[in-house]
Amino acid sequence: MPGLAPGDSAGGVPDSVNGTLVPYSSDSHVSAIYPLRHGLNPPISRVSVSWGRGNSLRVSVFRQPDSDPKSDGEVGGRVVEVTLGKSRDGEISDAQWRKIAYGSVSPFALLQSRKNSTASLSRMQLSPSPYHLEWWEYVMEYSKDISSLLGDPKTALAPLIEDPNEVFPKKVEEPSSLKAAWELMEMFYVDKLSQAWLPERLVDWLADYDSLISIDLPTVHSKLVEFQNQIVTLQVIEDDPRYWDLISSALAVGWLEIVVKLLRLHGSYRLDQLGRRETENGLVEAVAVLISKMPRMRPAIDAGKIGECFKAKPDFVKAWERWRAQITKLDSSAFWVQCDHRQTREGLKNMLQIMLGNVDVLCSSTCHWMELYISHFLYIRPFTAGLESMYSLAQKCIRLKHTSNPHKLMRLMIGILGENNEVVLAECSRGFGTWMVAHAIELLTAGSNEADILVHEEREDLGGISLEELHRLVYAQLLSSHLLTWQIAPIYLTSCMRQGMGLLEILLLKQPVQENQMLLKNLEICRLYELDGISSHLMEISGMYHWKHGRKGCAVFWLQQAHDEVRLSRIASQLFDSVGKSISGESFKQWEGLIELLGSEGQLAGGLNFLHKYRDFKKCLQHAESRKDADAARQAVESLMSLMRNASTPQRFWLPILYDAVKLLSWDEGPLINVSQTNLLLNKLQELSVARLRPDFVEPELPTQALNHVRYSLGTNLGRAILGEL
Amino acid sequence: MSVIGIPQTQIHRLPQSKYVDAIRWLPSVSPLQQSAIVAFFDTDADSPSLEVHSLDQESKALDLVSSWAPPSRISSLKSTHAFAVASTVSGSLHVFSATEAQDPSSAFRSEVSVAADGKGFHMGRINGVDLMDGGSNECVSVGEDGRVNLVRVLDGSYRKVFDGNGLVSYTAVKWASPTEFVTGGCGFGLQWWDLRRPGSAVAQFKGNLEKGRTSGIIHSIDVHPSRKHTCLAGGSAGTIFAWDLRYQQQPIILSGTGSDTAAQSLSESEVWEVQYDSYTKSSINNFSSSKLLPAMFCSEDGILGVIEQGEEPTELMAEPCAINSLDIDRQNPSEVICSLEWESIAIVSRP
Repeated sequence: MPGLAPGDSAGGVPDSVNGTLVPYSSDSHVSAIYPLRHGLNPPISRVSVSWGRGNSLRVSVFRQPDSDPKSDGEVGGRVVEVTLGKSRDGEISDAQWRKIAYGSVSPFALLQSRKNSTASLSRMQLSPSPYHLEWWEYVMEYSKDISSLLGDPKTALAPLIEDPNEVFPKKVEEPSSLKAAWELMEMFYVDKLSQAWLPERLVDWLADYDSLISIDLPTVHSKLVEFQNQIVTLQVIEDDPRYWDLISSALAVGWLEIVVKLLRLHGSYRLDQLGRRETENGLVEAVAVLISKMPRMRPAIDAGKIGECFKAKPDFVKAWERWRAQITKLDSSAFWVQCDHRQTREGLKNMLQIMLGNVDVLCSSTCHWMELYISHFLYIRPFTAGLESMYSLAQKCIRLKHTSNPHKLMRLMIGILGENNEVVLAECSRGFGTWMVAHAIELLTAGSNEADILVHEEREDLGGISLEELHRLVYAQLLSSHLLTWQIAPIYLTSCMRQGMGLLEILLLKQPVQENQMLLKNLEICRLYELDGISSHLMEISGMYHWKHGRKGCAVFWLQQAHDEVRLSRIASQLFDSVGKSISGESFKQWEGLIELLGSEGQLAGGLNFLHKYRDFKKCLQHAESRKDADAARQAVESLMSLMRNASTPQRFWLPILYDAVKLLSWDEGPLINVSQTNLLLNKLQELSVARLRPDFVEPELPTQALNHVRYSLGTNLGRAILGEL
Repeated sequence: MSVIGIPQTQIHRLPQSKYVDAIRWLPSVSPLQQSAIVAFFDTDADSPSLEVHSLDQESKALDLVSSWAPPSRISSLKSTHAFAVASTVSGSLHVFSATEAQDPSSAFRSEVSVAADGKGFHMGRINGVDLMDGGSNECVSVGEDGRVNLVRVLDGSYRKVFDGNGLVSYTAVKWASPTEFVTGGCGFGLQWWDLRRPGSAVAQFKGNLEKGRTSGIIHSIDVHPSRKHTCLAGGSAGTIFAWDLRYQQQPIILSGTGSDTAAQSLSESEVWEVQYDSYTKSSINNFSSSKLLPAMFCSEDGILGVIEQGEEPTELMAEPCAINSLDIDRQNPSEVICSLEWESIAIVSRP
């Protein structure tokens, strides 16, 4: 976290000369060039740059507007996205990161819900039932789930015919430092069962990840790989000093099966030489057998690895002493004198010194301080000691094998051994990114109360949130910035007590709503977290978007869903403009779908349900006209009256409706509209005549004589109706 | 309703590192081969692709056979015995020969394409396409612009059935017979079209399934070849219902908030796809014509299940992320392929 780093060695005093809080080296200002492929012909008149999603820039490139009217319809501009800093972490690709992000959702959510239920149990002061697991066991389950996501450095299946020259087992996939770091944290903070054989776990850990721990200097692993490539070309392997060097190195870090395999490549095993080199071969074999009998303080050992396991300390100590006695005995044996091959003699003697724990030999056989450290556990003090003494031993090893540029894993290791939780968090964040720190906090807090207090303490300098919340929020921000991962950000945001919900609302409102599918996924999240206000807001945004793009049906649907009366009635008046012209004859069918969608009375439509009645009226009228059907005509009259009585019928439709009704007024088979109905229609006509005088009145597109025609028909009908009712 | 009832169901999840927009089985060209056509979207490169993969019978690993770059993301994908048809969000439609697509030696390309020219065909996203096995070799397409078009798959000529002019948007379509098809849209609306009576839909269903509750969108329609008068539809709020043309005012609700209390709903979120499931044997053997056949669905809350009228629904798979589409292999109906939200494909093999 560079922002929290002290300004300089003089105690974090801001540099008064250039006024920066963080030392900033100017050589990091290397400008990167990103080519823009906009495909527009010059001249380009304007370029505008804005932030897009995540770390991408949105660059809008505009051409000169209409400089040449005959410019053969070329586009006037284009928007291109430029992604900055594509290679974020060389080790893990973006797609792999997303896979890790997806996979860690379920374990994280499960652990949080368990945490909540445990907390509520303890609040109710119920003693947890005896069947309940200890908290660290839940965390262990979580840790195993996450760990399986981070890659599986299992060795490949053994080939049917083993290559004798292949000393090094092939890995299926390259080990990742992320997994290495996770395993370290699990080992030290969570796994209470393996505390007793922590040294052996570290031996295994190094065997898996030795290839990662150094950036520039060689390691035992890199030397072995190099040597393996040359084995085939060597005639007499035991004459090569590197052979003995490597055997010692591999022995020092405890890769016993490799050591035994290498020893068996010794020339004295060859049938043609066995007779001449009997003693020599006996010594080589004796050492190999001793190695394979090495006592190990661990419950079990993987298949293919060698050593004798002991669970209980007293048994182990007894076996250990017996083993050491055997080594001493072999060391002082008389056979060495009879061994003519100098390299073999010296090499084997050196190995015995390693097994006897000679510090100088161990130091010269290992490359990296971590390897020296591990060799101490193997041959000098094979028991677990407190972290404090482990830390001082590590310091000693670092002094002996100093590296100027420690790997991030080693920095994390030192933080863990030094019991400095703040350093561990900072190293997780600096070396392994926001995902790591957000998820590894669970491991850290399972380990100690101090860590628990550290990450849960509410901090004034962070605006009242805790470190745990801070790291989750930062991770959620990262998730939100990607098109495919934003949907899992809510899981993390809702686990943040103080600012989570606020940020979730912002996140949801910022998502694009152009596509119905994306909108529906977004609304589903709103439903899960009961954010009804946000969901209706999103539906309004989507409704207006569809409206602007001419999809009136979609727009009405979403505004109805959002219960947005105001916008519905506003778009209604626009909709009516087009209704007046087109809701006749053939194009009538186009409106059918929308009118069905609007539904009938009682449903929310913001004045739009007028369309429904109007459609019914038109339909009946058409029926009545084409079939001369009196029933249909009577129905049409009913529709007419309900339209004219309804206050929601817009005034501008009164005259068109009445004009349509002329056909009903002049019905051949006697008056269809009675006196009171006719009076009502006459009143409406009167109201309309007054309204026409107002300046904002919209004149419908009807023959000029329409009004008079309606008035005349109404008058005639009134007369006929009065006569009929007499 | 748990997996215990069908213990041998096998689920293979295949991570893809690309978003899966749509997925369908392709008809097998040989009995030992299974292939699928998959529409991907690579967010890192910002590029869509349509790929044919063959499927290893044992390990269920996908093996790329051929790939084609569409002009934009695929919005809908269907396959029949002879053809695969894909539509894009920019409004173009592409037809492929199903057998040639699986042949690695022939170039995988669109046999017939109808481009979005901004005039006659669709404007904007095509939401649904359908092609019928043994039908008229015409592909029906519906869009958010409210247009309904028929494309002849042999030469790519098209004719307009209806232009809703944006006043309606259609979201799903399915052939019922060589001359009839069903479309779905907003507000749980369904429309029945008959090419012999052109001009407008011959029957409409307005989904007032739930009284006073919010409405939703139809995402998927299926019609069983033996019962062409009934269509099955799935949509928002866990809704799955059947609409029988003979009883137009009485939809049969199988799942959703409006359903009867006897049948418990497995999902309350969007039902992205429904398909009749010929593999699940109906509990009533004598094929009484009044009862609906079992159907499979997948949902936004990660459920893949089988639903049957009057029965407890069965859950086949429950995922922590959305299942966006499903397809039952017509030749081998025990096999189901699904696309998952988290950039992966799942293959469910039933015993």
